[in-house]
Amino acid sequence: MKLELDEYVHLESPLHRWDPRYKLAGLMALILAFSFVRDLRMLLPMVAATATVYLVSRLPLSFMLRRLRYPSIFVLAAVLILPFLAGQTIVLSIGPFDVRQEGLLAVLLIVTRFLCILTIGLILFGTTPFLTSIKAMRALGLPAILADMLLLSFRYLHEIGNDLQRMQTSMTLRGFHRHRLSPRGLRILAWLGGSILVRSYEQSEWVYKAMILRGYGHEPHPRDEFRACSRDVVALSVFLSTAVAFVAADVLWRYGPAALPW
Amino acid sequence: MHIPDGILPIPITAGGYAATAAATWYSVRKIEQQENPRRHVPKASLLTAAFFVVSWIHIPVPPTSVHLVLNGLLGALLGYFAFPAILIGLFFQAVMFQHGGLTTLGINAVIMGLPAIVAHYVFRMRRLGNHDSRTRTAVFGFFSGAVALGISVAMFVAILLGNLPADFDPAIERAAVYTLAVAHVPLIAIEGVITALLTTFLRRVQPELLDDV
Repeated sequence: MKLELDEYVHLESPLHRWDPRYKLAGLMALILAFSFVRDLRMLLPMVAATATVYLVSRLPLSFMLRRLRYPSIFVLAAVLILPFLAGQTIVLSIGPFDVRQEGLLAVLLIVTRFLCILTIGLILFGTTPFLTSIKAMRALGLPAILADMLLLSFRYLHEIGNDLQRMQTSMTLRGFHRHRLSPRGLRILAWLGGSILVRSYEQSEWVYKAMILRGYGHEPHPRDEFRACSRDVVALSVFLSTAVAFVAADVLWRYGPAALPW
Repeated sequence: MHIPDGILPIPITAGGYAATAAATWYSVRKIEQQENPRRHVPKASLLTAAFFVVSWIHIPVPPTSVHLVLNGLLGALLGYFAFPAILIGLFFQAVMFQHGGLTTLGINAVIMGLPAIVAHYVFRMRRLGNHDSRTRTAVFGFFSGAVALGISVAMFVAILLGNLPADFDPAIERAAVYTLAVAHVPLIAIEGVITALLTTFLRRVQPELLDDV
C-alpha cells in the first residue's frame, strides 16, 4: 500500500525551504481567508493567488490532478444538483429541468473555493515530509498525547494497510465473493475487521514495551529542531497580509467601506 | 459523509473547530486523569490506524458498495480516546485522500466524534445489573453502531442543507432531507450489524479489548 504523500518533498523551491512552522501558519491563514470569501468577484484573484503559490512550489501538475480523483465526485454532485434545485431565477430550460441562476452561482463559488483550498492544502503537505509537519504542529502547541498518537498511527498505517490487503487476497484465493451481500459474507467481513483490530492490539503491547525500554514517558522534553531565519518571517508576513487582504476585500465588496473595522 | 472544503461559511467551520478543541481538551483531560495515561497511547494509536484501515473494507450493497464509518465501534472500544482518534483519522483522510477538508476538519470531527462518545455510553450500558452476556454484547454493539451513525447522518444533513450558499425551495429541501434519511437507513442497519458482529467476535477472541482502553 502506497500513500505517496511525501513523493515530491525532495524538490527545491522556496516553499520546500520555508520553516515548516511558519509555512503551516501562513498557508493555513490563506486557506481560512479563502473559506471566508463569498463575493464572486474575489474568485479570480483567489485562483490567481493559488496558481502562483503552486507554480512557486514547483510541484508537478500531475501531482494535483491525480489527487483530484476522489474529490471530483463531490464537484460532480454539486454541478449536477445545485443548478437544478437551488434558487428561483430560471435562466435555461432543458426538457423538464430548469437551470437556476442562484444555483449556478453557488456552484461556481463552492467549486472554486474548494479547488483553491484543496490545492493550498496539497502544497502545504506536499512540500514538507509528513513527520516534519507533525513536529511543526507539536512546536505550535499540539498536545503531546495527540502528537504521539498522530506519529504512531502514521507509522503503523502502512503496515496495517498491507496486512488488510494480504488478508483480502487470501480470502479471494480461498473463494470468498466480496461482491455478494449475504449474512455469511457480512460475518466474514466483520471477522476480517476484527482480526485486524486484534492483531493491532497485540502488536501495540510489544510496541509499548519497546517504547518503555527506550525511555518513553521519562525522556526530557525534546528541544525544538526548527530554526527560523528572517526570510521565513518575511514569507509569513507576505502570506498573512495576503490573507487579511482577501478578507478585507471580500467585506469591502459585499458591505462597502463602512463595514471595515478601520 | 465528510463535508468538503468550500461549502460551509466561516462561522460554522470556526464553530466546528471551537467545539472540537473543547471536546479534545476534555478527552485529553480525562485521559490524563487515568493512572499512567501514556500506557494507553500506543494501544489507542495502533487501534486508530487499524480503524482507519478497517473502514476501507467495502461492504457490498448491490448495485454498489459502501464503506464502514465505525464511529460507534470506535466509541465503544476506545472510550475517551475515541474523539482524538476520530480527529486523527479525519486528518489523515483530508491530507492523504482529500476526503473532507482542512477547514471542515473541526465540524467533521464533531459530526463523527460526538456520536462516538454517545456510543461509548450506550455500549457501557451492557453491564447494567452486572450481567454481561454474548447476546447483550451483540445488542448493545448493534445499538452503539447504529445510534452513532444515525446521529452522525442527522447532524451531517442538518449542517449541510442548512448552510449551502444557495436557497432551496422548502419542498425540495424537505424532499432532500427525507431522501437522504431513507437512503441511509440500510447503511445504519448494516453499520449496527457489523458493529454487533465485531464486538461479539472481540468478546470471544480478545475480551480485554472491550474493557481495557
